[in-house]
Amino acid sequence: MRIRDILNKDCIDLNLKSTDKESVIKELISLLVNRGLIADKEEFFHAVWEREKTYTTGIGMGIAIPHGKSKSVKRAAVAFGKSERGIDFDSLDGKPAHLFFLIAVPEESHDLHLELISTLSRKLMHEEVRRALNEADTQEKVLEALSVDVRVN
Amino acid sequence: MSKKIVAVTACPTGIAHTYMAAENLSIAAKELGIDIKVETQGSVGIENKLSEEDIKQADAVIIAAATKVDRSRFQGKPVLEVPVEQAIKDAKSLIEKALKMEKPAGYVEKIEEIHKDRAASRTGAYKHLMTGVSYMIPFVVAGGILIAISFAFGINAFQNQGTLPAALMQIGGGSAFALMIPILSGFIAYSIADKPGLVPGMVGGMLAVSTGAGFLGGIISGFLAGYTVDFLKKSIKLPRTLEGIMPVLVLPVLSCLIVGLLMIYVIGTPIKSIMTVLTNWLAGMSKANAVLLGLILGLMMAFDMGGPVNKAAYTFATGLLASEIYAPMAAVMAAGMTPPLGLALATLIARDRFTEDEIEAGKAAWVLGISFITEGAIPFAAADPLRVIPSIMAGSAVTGALSMLFGATLRVPHGGIFVLPIPNAVGNLPMYVVSIIGGTVVTALMVTALKKKVAK
Repeated sequence: MRIRDILNKDCIDLNLKSTDKESVIKELISLLVNRGLIADKEEFFHAVWEREKTYTTGIGMGIAIPHGKSKSVKRAAVAFGKSERGIDFDSLDGKPAHLFFLIAVPEESHDLHLELISTLSRKLMHEEVRRALNEADTQEKVLEALSVDVRVN
Repeated sequence: MSKKIVAVTACPTGIAHTYMAAENLSIAAKELGIDIKVETQGSVGIENKLSEEDIKQADAVIIAAATKVDRSRFQGKPVLEVPVEQAIKDAKSLIEKALKMEKPAGYVEKIEEIHKDRAASRTGAYKHLMTGVSYMIPFVVAGGILIAISFAFGINAFQNQGTLPAALMQIGGGSAFALMIPILSGFIAYSIADKPGLVPGMVGGMLAVSTGAGFLGGIISGFLAGYTVDFLKKSIKLPRTLEGIMPVLVLPVLSCLIVGLLMIYVIGTPIKSIMTVLTNWLAGMSKANAVLLGLILGLMMAFDMGGPVNKAAYTFATGLLASEIYAPMAAVMAAGMTPPLGLALATLIARDRFTEDEIEAGKAAWVLGISFITEGAIPFAAADPLRVIPSIMAGSAVTGALSMLFGATLRVPHGGIFVLPIPNAVGNLPMYVVSIIGGTVVTALMVTALKKKVAK
């Protein structure tokens, strides 16, 4: 299994239009909805939003990883988006987020998918991955950036 | 060897933060040149689980979690617990902070520390007395046990010259026990006036024995000798060339002369009468008075768990061994054992009243209790003094009173449960054990009734 199994090329948007937290989450959800991966987008948005209320997923370093677990998710998937000017995401470091990973996980999910997501989460912690993502100007380059093996242990 | 950290990361959904925090900690540790192992408790379940060996080797533990992580397996390690975001935001300073944390003292180490602190913080007369007592105890233990073994051959077996029981009695009673008061007196003086104090102290102690002034006389001669030497050192000024004869000639002779004469002509006789009254009273005591004495000794033993009040009761009972009075010693040791034992029992019967750490400490408290280390109750008492101290005092009072009521005796001033199997060390052994169990149960029940449930 590779990153492409959970992040489809069509779910990568290098030029997000939204300017606020709520709408960017909805924009990313629509990418997954278009691929037929989510049955009920309202329901899924609700799950993500509830999760966001516990504490923000704006983890700083310009990254946000809104995520939700819901029965309206058909299979685990990720949508990626970039916003050149940045969006306020209540980040831990107070700075706007530029890179967005929306993670959708079904209520009962396949372990392999979850492992991929955990690997993806780990990768975001590496500076070189973040740099490559920031520089990526095609969907293919985003996938390449996320395919690099960087695990420390 | 590089430092090692173990960490646990967890978050409510277990989808992303858990892993990001783990990765960030690993990256930061690598940069700092520190070994790290991070257990993730996420959606995939527990991965990279920390083994007992990992935890044992770790210098510090970091728990970065938004959920409750069980800390019990990290007992005795410095644990830094932070929200999971913290490890994503700034893992480096977390690691640095964790490594700087003090290792929390384990229960047994804590007791040892209290022991040391208390010994170090003693001042003045109390310190000198305790120094003397601490040097005396091993003599009494050795003597008491050897006498008890002699009795094992028959209570009058030692009267047959040339037999083993006679030899044992000669070693234990005739020598070790005979040295008890001179050693007590000598080391009280030693504590006051250093080496020159030892000579008049021991000589004064011998005189306390021969004049019948007993351990009270020995305590007085010790202080007398110490302060006399101190005074002589300050007031006698010899020419430089003769200074060498001070410690070998002038001080020993003068101090022995002064202390000796005072012991014989001034102190010996009145103290002897006090000792006679005391020992006669103790020997012929009515049951009611015996129970009252046991009760008071019990309260004293538990009150400050090894502090001055406890030591006063202990010194009193130990000193009486020299006058062949053995019942208070039994009451005192039993009452000194029940505080940790009662609390240990309480941690078993009322787990909801204790923290995880205390339940863990309860296991060690059994050992300290049976070893007659009353200090084992201190961590419990410190955490909740108003409920714990009355409970252990009640238990010890019951034990002390029961021990006296049953006429239990003890010839050895220390050793806890380990002296019980020695034949004749304890008189009325079955009821002595009953006394100890009685107080233990009283303490446990009272603690259970008084203590509030701990929110976990």
